[in-house]
Amino acid sequence: MEQETKKEAKWEPKLLGFLCRWCSYAGADLAGTSRKKYPANIRIIRIPCSGRADPLFILKALRMGFDGVLISGCHPGECHYQTGNYYARRRIAITKKFLEYLGIEPERFQASWCSASEAIKFAEVVTDVTKGLKEVGPNRLFIDEREEHGAKASG
Amino acid sequence: MSRKISKKDIGKLLSQWGEKFTVFAPAKDEGMAKMAEWDGKDTSFLDWYRNTVVPPKANFLPSMEKMFSFRQGEEGYQLETPSEIDKQLVFGIRPCDARALSILDMTFEDAYEDPYYLGRRKNSLLIGLGCTNPCDSCFCTSLGISPTESNDVDLMFTDIDDEFLIEEVTDKGKELLASTSGLEETTEAEVTKAKEAKEKAYSRVTRTINTEAIADRLLASFDNQDFWEQIAAKCLSCGICTLLCPTCYCFDINDELVGKEGARFRSWDSCGFCLYTKMPMENPRHEKWHRVRQRVCHKYEFYPMNFDVIACTGCGRCIRLCPVNWDITQTLESVPAELEKQKA
Amino acid sequence: MEQKLRDEAKALLEQGKVDYIIGFAPGSLKFTTTPLITKDKGDADRLVINPFIVNNLSVFLTEIKGRVGIVAKGCDSRSIVSLIQDNKVAREGVIILGVPCPGLIDVNRAEKLVGKDRDEIDDITRDGDKIAITVGGKKKEFPATEVLFDDCLSCESPTPEEYDILIGEPAQLACDTELSREKIKQLEGMPLEQRWEFWKGEFNHCIRCYACRQVCPACFCERCFVEETEPQWVHPVPRWQDNLMFQIARILHVAGRCVDCGECERACPVNIPLRSLTKKMDEIVYDLFKYQAGTDKEAKPFLTAYEQEEAEDLIR
Repeated sequence: MEQETKKEAKWEPKLLGFLCRWCSYAGADLAGTSRKKYPANIRIIRIPCSGRADPLFILKALRMGFDGVLISGCHPGECHYQTGNYYARRRIAITKKFLEYLGIEPERFQASWCSASEAIKFAEVVTDVTKGLKEVGPNRLFIDEREEHGAKASG
Repeated sequence: MSRKISKKDIGKLLSQWGEKFTVFAPAKDEGMAKMAEWDGKDTSFLDWYRNTVVPPKANFLPSMEKMFSFRQGEEGYQLETPSEIDKQLVFGIRPCDARALSILDMTFEDAYEDPYYLGRRKNSLLIGLGCTNPCDSCFCTSLGISPTESNDVDLMFTDIDDEFLIEEVTDKGKELLASTSGLEETTEAEVTKAKEAKEKAYSRVTRTINTEAIADRLLASFDNQDFWEQIAAKCLSCGICTLLCPTCYCFDINDELVGKEGARFRSWDSCGFCLYTKMPMENPRHEKWHRVRQRVCHKYEFYPMNFDVIACTGCGRCIRLCPVNWDITQTLESVPAELEKQKA
Repeated sequence: MEQKLRDEAKALLEQGKVDYIIGFAPGSLKFTTTPLITKDKGDADRLVINPFIVNNLSVFLTEIKGRVGIVAKGCDSRSIVSLIQDNKVAREGVIILGVPCPGLIDVNRAEKLVGKDRDEIDDITRDGDKIAITVGGKKKEFPATEVLFDDCLSCESPTPEEYDILIGEPAQLACDTELSREKIKQLEGMPLEQRWEFWKGEFNHCIRCYACRQVCPACFCERCFVEETEPQWVHPVPRWQDNLMFQIARILHVAGRCVDCGECERACPVNIPLRSLTKKMDEIVYDLFKYQAGTDKEAKPFLTAYEQEEAEDLIR
């Protein structure tokens, strides 16, 4: 019991960020060079465009144990590929609503538009999302307390 | 030598057996019948039970099982095999499903003795329950299987209205019966009643197929693409008929790795899936009609050629559960009887 | 009505307007029908129309090569339109024999109402807004809304909107939109954790037969994402975590193309209430974007279209 509370006290949410290469990733970079502080909970994967983000990325991340996922891209109308973020917006919208319907806390999947110059915004978004994740707690969605290995019949 | 037990006392009987075994009995989950771990009190299945959706093969070849776990240490890999297998007692298995297990035994004992499957078989007891109300999709009688008699169970229960007649079939069953209390002796009249019940149940299986020379007829039709394309046209290539077939045994093996630890799993697979036979350079069963032909021939031609028995027990699940009502009995009836031509 | 269908189908084959006819023939079990796919005009006499023509036959359009005359209910014709939007089917390549449908009888529900299995039921017949189930010679009547499939209760296109030949009169519905989304409403009322527990329990039963995917006309990928191994998105082992992940991803992939025909739920051998997922996705798509699948064959498919301003409130 004591070890558990110790573990939980030390727990830091793991946030996976998919940032588009032209705007958001550059914005994150600028945050770094401008020495804008934001929590180190985020791990960043650079994708060419927010339109590259498949709902499978979000599901896989949650399945693997990440506490939250953030997708960030260019503002609508400013996409480097013209329309990528429009497609992303539709996918993000239905995924958000659907995951919440299923019982996944909305804080676990967040999205933002962040341009290459918006270092402050990026730092704020990450800080905010991390705070939200700390409130909802560790991702226990896919954890199974029962025995997995089927010595008893399954199905 | 037979005994009997009142239906009211089945709960007590299962509890008694539950002290030595993990007891499985029919249960309904969301309206779907399956063999589940008996909860200790519910015997309402006696009112509705005809047969389960998931066949009892799941108790021996589970839909998913861990074969072993492994860890990479400093001196190589350490393997850890699963612990002792629980003793299990499957109550209410139908003769068709029990025969299916004997058919599966032939494969798992063949070139390699599968310790997982055979370990479970060794550690379990099958308590058969004879049918009184066969479904209209059942056709066990055409395959030489009786809905009421079985050599593949350890004890056989026959429904005689308010009671069950219990017959010993194997030595294991005899042993179990000897150590079971609460059973009564049977009278001549009750034995006769059981016999009549069995005859009645047998006559209620109305679906029949002609299995005469079926292996030869299928062999002769093997290259008849027009025939097989027409047969396969409405199949959707899902896995229902195969995964829920009591004699199907195809499985997939996957390793799952996280860091330096992992486990190897075996899980059900289906020859109906398009990618089942895919290899790097080709897929010999890429066409749907290849796969449908494979399913029919495996059951009715290849298995008889290898093991002298048709690998189908007429349980009818494939007919009941297929989303497009693809019916194997219709297919078998329409296999061209070209035997005369071939012989000439 | 059946005779008209048979005559039209026969004519289409005789006149060489189509290579295949796809329709429904009587099944080999009580209260079942089975798809009939044929080039032979003699087979046209086996075509039937009854309250058990459940299959969405448009699923065969993506694999059949040739011109097809296809029997389509309202939901099926919307699937065909959706396939046309996706460029999987050419409008000129199909002749749609539209069949107005007043709702399909769910035999599972009938069984539950009378406490008997289907082979112990003598007959199930529809009479306006009542359905009569006969067992052992005795007839019992029930309101149609208790025996029809859930999705039929909220059907918006009982008469197909896209067709070439209409067989019969426009159909009368037995509607109960609230009843058709009862399960969804229940789930929406639960706290998040309880909902997830519910789906955990359901997907413990899943055996990965993929029937839901195979019956779905919208699932036409040559290689499904579950079959990818580089990277392995979903483990092939049927544990509930991966079963649930498969279904969530599948429904997200067919969003905007699913017409809520209900075939996935009907086909599922372990009774997972899939329509509580598919119908909810349809509602989400409509609520956010006012888009309904299969209603406009000129429209761009949902996930390949966009408006300048939409759904901005969901993004920071």
